[in-house]
Amino acid sequence: MKKIETTLTSLKSDIAAFYKQELHHFMVMNAVEVADKIEVQWFFSDYAYLCETTCFFTLIDPAEKIPSIKDIVVSAWVAEAELVDLMNINIENTAKGFVLEPDFESGPLRKKK
Amino acid sequence: MKLASYRKKSPWILHYNAGGCNGCDIEILACLSPKYDIERFGMINTGNPKQSDILLVTGPVTKRNRERLVEIYAQMPEPKVVIACGACASTGGVFRGMYNCEGGIDQYIPVDVYVCGCGTRPEQIIDGVVQALAILETKTKELEESVRLKKEAVKEKQQLNRRNIADEIKPAFT
Amino acid sequence: MAKQYEIPIGAQHISLLEPLHFKFTTENEKIVKTDANVYYVHRGIEQACCSKFKFRQVSFVVGRVCGLCSISHTTAYSQVAEKLVKIEVPKRAKYLRMLVIELDRIHSHLLCLSHVAENSGFEALFMKTMQYREFSMELLEAVCGNRIQYDFSIVGGVARDLKPQVAQSIIERLKKFVPQLDELMDIYKNNWTLSLKNKGAGAITKEDAMRLNVVGPFARAAGLAVDVRNETEDLLPWKEVGYEMITETSGDVYARNIVRLRELYVSIRIIENIINGLPETPLITETKAFPDGEATVRLEAPRGELFYYAKGNKTQVLERLKIKAPTFSNVAAMAEAFTGNEYGSVPAIIASYDPCLSCTAR
Repeated sequence: MKKIETTLTSLKSDIAAFYKQELHHFMVMNAVEVADKIEVQWFFSDYAYLCETTCFFTLIDPAEKIPSIKDIVVSAWVAEAELVDLMNINIENTAKGFVLEPDFESGPLRKKK
Repeated sequence: MKLASYRKKSPWILHYNAGGCNGCDIEILACLSPKYDIERFGMINTGNPKQSDILLVTGPVTKRNRERLVEIYAQMPEPKVVIACGACASTGGVFRGMYNCEGGIDQYIPVDVYVCGCGTRPEQIIDGVVQALAILETKTKELEESVRLKKEAVKEKQQLNRRNIADEIKPAFT
Repeated sequence: MAKQYEIPIGAQHISLLEPLHFKFTTENEKIVKTDANVYYVHRGIEQACCSKFKFRQVSFVVGRVCGLCSISHTTAYSQVAEKLVKIEVPKRAKYLRMLVIELDRIHSHLLCLSHVAENSGFEALFMKTMQYREFSMELLEAVCGNRIQYDFSIVGGVARDLKPQVAQSIIERLKKFVPQLDELMDIYKNNWTLSLKNKGAGAITKEDAMRLNVVGPFARAAGLAVDVRNETEDLLPWKEVGYEMITETSGDVYARNIVRLRELYVSIRIIENIINGLPETPLITETKAFPDGEATVRLEAPRGELFYYAKGNKTQVLERLKIKAPTFSNVAAMAEAFTGNEYGSVPAIIASYDPCLSCTAR
């Protein structure tokens, strides 16, 4: 697995420069809690023989707003809508309520302090 | 000829997955297939709650499914029998205590037959359904008796009941 | 512009195995827009795997993510946990894992095909396919001890050995199955009634499949050659047991049926090769190490690419486990491929996607 660090401002340009429709496909978005911060990861994989998984990651504060990659990778809306509910983070143009019921406390995967 | 005898010979099944892993659902599908052939009991899998007599539920109840489950149960006409298929439908199974799950469907609707196993074998499902047929028969009888007003009316102190004044009600058939 | 109507399907419907909700906006029976709600069965398995269960128990829990491809889930988790505790699996265990995955693929593909036939209104073909499918369930029971939840892979290897009599019976039953599969191939390919509902329905182009990151038979039917068995070599040696890529070009329900049927021939060949060349090594590698670091694993489940991410913190309980199921990648394309079809062909199209929502929602 190849890990590439990026920042919130350069995320979209990094992914746009990397992502080629014929070569790669977007797999999933993931987030892991690292102490007070959250590490957000975007996983891509290529179609070639002996495939390589590429992971873009960045460390954010829980309250920060993450740019959406929907205009580069069309099918990313499912992953974004899921992560917003499960980790209680903010992604632009993504509403809550896709996974959990509205009356449910969001962010069940966050550690209880 | 009475409707009850038809119902016993040909109960229609409604299947709902309330959040399980699909394992029990494909075994229910296997029951319909030629090897196990549940149709020899006259059973047909139907999609309409208003036409069905037996509700087969699989899976622990997830939060988004609970209203749907109660709604489907409420839409079925009396008499009706509920079968909980599999360990998670009976008690919650391995999913018991997960944040979006409830433990078992009997927290929301009354269950008549519990079928064990993870996943349930087709033989067990058929056995459960045959037991449900006997329950369906007793339920039908109870329902018909209450319609004929054979039972004595409820009597409480200080209550002026119409039946205290009126004649004694004779059983409809003797 | 014609008047638009909204027609819902689900959560409970005769053509759906699982709760799933689509809201179609239609114009004179033609679908113009689809909204999908696929998270009815979200249970919270990821959180439980990282708090309630120890890492050796998790392989039994993730099998319950999905009953259809439980062996793919347990194998993928076992592999990711083996990467975290840094052990190598014996070769016999790898071969036995591939054997059960391929047997599982046979039963899963035949179930999907029968479901397509039923939803297209061809009840007799549903019965025929289900009848032919039953042998794979019996073989799985003989190999693993249970019809549905196998719990075959554990961290470090596999839980049971393959007995010689069972191996013999697998070869015999597969020999009987090949003419039956030829018969099914003939019906699905040439039946005129079935083609009315299947040809041209739910079509997706190769460009769309690329743009929407589709995986599995759904993508291969559109001509996009994506298969994890073709891309990885280190964890399970697919190429050495005779894997071959199957693709079609038209991308409709018919092409998906044909891809699934042709993949069954490949599965049969792989199973025969595995049984004939089963190496004699121990079944399991023991270790007392605790998981540390992070790792990812990709595996080809019957429905497409399965992806596991795990992070350990040198304790018995994992820090994070992320499951990406095949249908999760296909949700976006599932909603788009309805556009332009008649509402009447929706049940057949849904069945041909082979959606597994308990995988998607976890």
